[in-house]
Amino acid sequence: MKYNQFLKMTLAVALCGSLITGCSKDNDTKTDTEYPVIDVTTSDAFPKQCSELRRGTAFSAKIIVSDNAELGSVSIDIHHNFDHHTHSTELDDCGLDALKTPVNPFTLIKSFPIPAGNKNHMVSEEIQVPATIDPGDYHFMIRATDREGWQTIKGLSIKIK
Amino acid sequence: MKLLFLLCCSMVYCMGNAQLYQLAVNVTDPRHNPVPDAQLRIADHKTHVVTDAGGTGLFKELLPGTYYLHVFREGYQPFTKKIAITTHDRSIVVTLQPEAGLLQEVQVNNTTARQRKNQEQLNLEIIKSDFIQKNLGGSLLQSLERLPGVKTISIGSGQSKPLLRGLGFNRVAVIDGYIKHEGQQWGADHGLEIDQFAVEELEILKGAASFAYGSDAIAGAINIKHPVPPAPRSLGGNVNLIGKTNNALYGGSLELHGRTQKWFGTGRITFQDYADYRVPADSLYVYDYPVQLYRHHLRNTAGRELNGHLTTGYISGRFKSVFDITNIYNKSGFFANAHGLEPRNVNTAIHDADSRDILMPYQQVNHFKLINRSHFMIHHHVITMAAGYQNNHRREYNHYVTHGYMPAVYPDTMTIPVNLERAFRKNTYSLNAKDMIAFGNHELEFGFNSEIQKNTINGWSFLVPAFDQKSIGVFIYDKIHLTDRTLLHGALRYDHTGIRIHDYTDWFPSPVAENGDTSAIHISRAGNTNRDFNSITGSIGINHNRKHLSLKANIGKSYRVPIAKELAANGVNYHYFSYEKGNAALDPEASYQIDASAVLDQNRWQVQLSPFFNYFPNYIYLNPTPDHDYLYGAGNQVFEYRQSRVMRYGAELQITYRLLKNLSAEFLGEYLYSRQLSGNKKGYTLPFSPAPTALMNLTFQPIKTAPFHQTYFSVDYRLSAPQNNIVPPEKKTKGFTVLNIQAGTRFIIGKQQARLSLQLQNAFNTRYMVHTSFYRLIGLPEPGRNLILSLKIPFNFLNHKEQ
Repeated sequence: MKYNQFLKMTLAVALCGSLITGCSKDNDTKTDTEYPVIDVTTSDAFPKQCSELRRGTAFSAKIIVSDNAELGSVSIDIHHNFDHHTHSTELDDCGLDALKTPVNPFTLIKSFPIPAGNKNHMVSEEIQVPATIDPGDYHFMIRATDREGWQTIKGLSIKIK
Repeated sequence: MKLLFLLCCSMVYCMGNAQLYQLAVNVTDPRHNPVPDAQLRIADHKTHVVTDAGGTGLFKELLPGTYYLHVFREGYQPFTKKIAITTHDRSIVVTLQPEAGLLQEVQVNNTTARQRKNQEQLNLEIIKSDFIQKNLGGSLLQSLERLPGVKTISIGSGQSKPLLRGLGFNRVAVIDGYIKHEGQQWGADHGLEIDQFAVEELEILKGAASFAYGSDAIAGAINIKHPVPPAPRSLGGNVNLIGKTNNALYGGSLELHGRTQKWFGTGRITFQDYADYRVPADSLYVYDYPVQLYRHHLRNTAGRELNGHLTTGYISGRFKSVFDITNIYNKSGFFANAHGLEPRNVNTAIHDADSRDILMPYQQVNHFKLINRSHFMIHHHVITMAAGYQNNHRREYNHYVTHGYMPAVYPDTMTIPVNLERAFRKNTYSLNAKDMIAFGNHELEFGFNSEIQKNTINGWSFLVPAFDQKSIGVFIYDKIHLTDRTLLHGALRYDHTGIRIHDYTDWFPSPVAENGDTSAIHISRAGNTNRDFNSITGSIGINHNRKHLSLKANIGKSYRVPIAKELAANGVNYHYFSYEKGNAALDPEASYQIDASAVLDQNRWQVQLSPFFNYFPNYIYLNPTPDHDYLYGAGNQVFEYRQSRVMRYGAELQITYRLLKNLSAEFLGEYLYSRQLSGNKKGYTLPFSPAPTALMNLTFQPIKTAPFHQTYFSVDYRLSAPQNNIVPPEKKTKGFTVLNIQAGTRFIIGKQQARLSLQLQNAFNTRYMVHTSFYRLIGLPEPGRNLILSLKIPFNFLNHKEQ
């Protein structure tokens, strides 16, 4: 019986040991778990959800991003939504035009690296909307990352008239 | 000459002087029925004996001494025992344990299971069909999730991939009838093409199992055992019916089997049809976009499954050869409001009109398998050979949606169907063989595994190029019976794998700016690349078994060859808003692991503790970078395959305590910690790290319930701690508690014992999320309350002698 008691003790000690080492290690990781923030609501930011752009003119895109530690990069992507298949990430519904088949839709993809060490940054870019493209519903996608690789996405619904 | 004569004389004298004794061995099965045709061998003794119809074999002339007796019989586990012959004839009884099937119960105190576990080098769990029926989930893996250390990465209600101690995807090898199951291992959004009704027994090996199963078994293996052939001169079958309330599933499986003395055949057909599954929520947010759910249905998650099996074979005492033909077909929808993580606008009127229809996006998977397994016993050798052909064809259908610079309208000159987003076809040819020899106190096994794979792709979306792969491995394994109580294991393996990746060029042009000029170019995504990998792995283990205690320790090196996706992915995975970039310079992943386990088994108590420590010098992971790629990635975030040093440790604890004769309590717990020690994500954990969990169970088994038998009522209370240890792009997951209730019984229909089992999963309709769920990133809750009813009725056309 002594033998069995010894075994029980050993098991109990091993169990406690594994639980303690397991729990104590958890708190010493100080990793960044915060996503960067894309602010599309402040007055400086453009475009906003439901903004309207005009063909044949240029507009100044202003993307305001921030992060708790260090920003990575920003990417913008303008593509049509004539088929209504994708929708924005935002609450507001801007109302969609009728479905239509694209002929010459506007596509623009551009990435903007952010200099190292920044917690706040504004991407400012003049974008020319060609005169010959199809008017209608478009998406203005903004992707922002921080140095650790956390990404935030905003998909804005816009209209090009 | 004189000397020789003298020597001969003295030998004759000695032999004449030494008394010879008899050893009678009576071989029985666990039900005390005699086992004829069993091979009895005594190492170093030239003759071997075959048992007669009464299960008895006789060694007539044995010198006094200590011998190792080996007993082999097709369908049973090999048996070795140390026998001492001293001053009289001996007679012993050997009870052979069947390989699978005959003993139906899965209980920790099951002696068969315990014996098998005690003999095994790695941490082993044995699961029988009863356990699966009792805990039936949407898929085979979901049915196993109750076990500590086993989790799944699930998508929808019917698809899931295994996670053993937090490692999954292609880090777990699935073996079906001695052949490695080759599906599309790399993706999270499809399941394992295995029919859970056809599984009679499976083994889960946790730990570095590459020495036994090759690449992919770096975290462990799920070994699906082939059912034991039906009894001689029998003709019968069984029908399994199943219904689930959550996704209005109905299904069934019909099995028929027959056997003459030596020939047998079995056939099975399984069918399941399910509607969209329901979650305890009215609306969800995909990012900030609100999705209203119609009657709690997760739109377009319906599916159906149709499986067929045909097995035929020949059995004699020393030879068995079996052919298996299997076809698994599955069609299932993906949640329509978020294809992957992308919020999608859907026509709710069409989707909500019918919860059973499968609209876009959906997938179709077909897995065909033809396997032959043959066993021979020749003198001291037990030889197993398996040859297999597998065809896995997976198609993903979706509306054509332009991404990046794809043309706005799908060109009618394209030969790829307009709705075929991606398709993968894998053809695999396998040949495995091994030989087992017992001599002295050794059980030696050696053999090889070889495989040829051809992978082709299709669809208008690109992620992974087509590739061919050839691999061969040779291994040697020795189990030494140091004493009756102590076993020593040693294994060594060498593997070679060659991968040939084929080139791929976009079918559409993208505008490429060079020196101020912009030109439209068809981008080359992959070039022709060859890589060869060599690995040596091995392990040493020890088992010590006492009456109430079994101890096990093992240290081993395991490896995994990088898969084509890790080497050569170069495209946008629109389901994740990510651009995945392979790394052709990756090394084979290595893993060093120490495993231990202690099992205490006393009258009322059963305690099993299995801790492990694991170190990877070069773990392969998908690293989200801060960069966006304009050209190849169409503006998406770049995710690159990298290697880093990783340390992991954890433990599983199982405690069963019998409170009363008919009442028992159980605790199952698991803990896992992982940390990256180098690279871009130094300090972070690994993706899909399961949270610590505990399961508390109370089971009541009333004793007198005639005409019902083996009745049980059981409550599982599952607790999960929060998972705050995350790595990009994961989200922290809150803890939760869920209550599941099980009940079941057996009763006689005709002359057969029917089994009824009932389960109420998520009894309180709790809204919770599991960290390892595919849909965790967009915050979809797990399925709501689910009542599962399953009934299994065997039938018999021909009455053979009762077992």
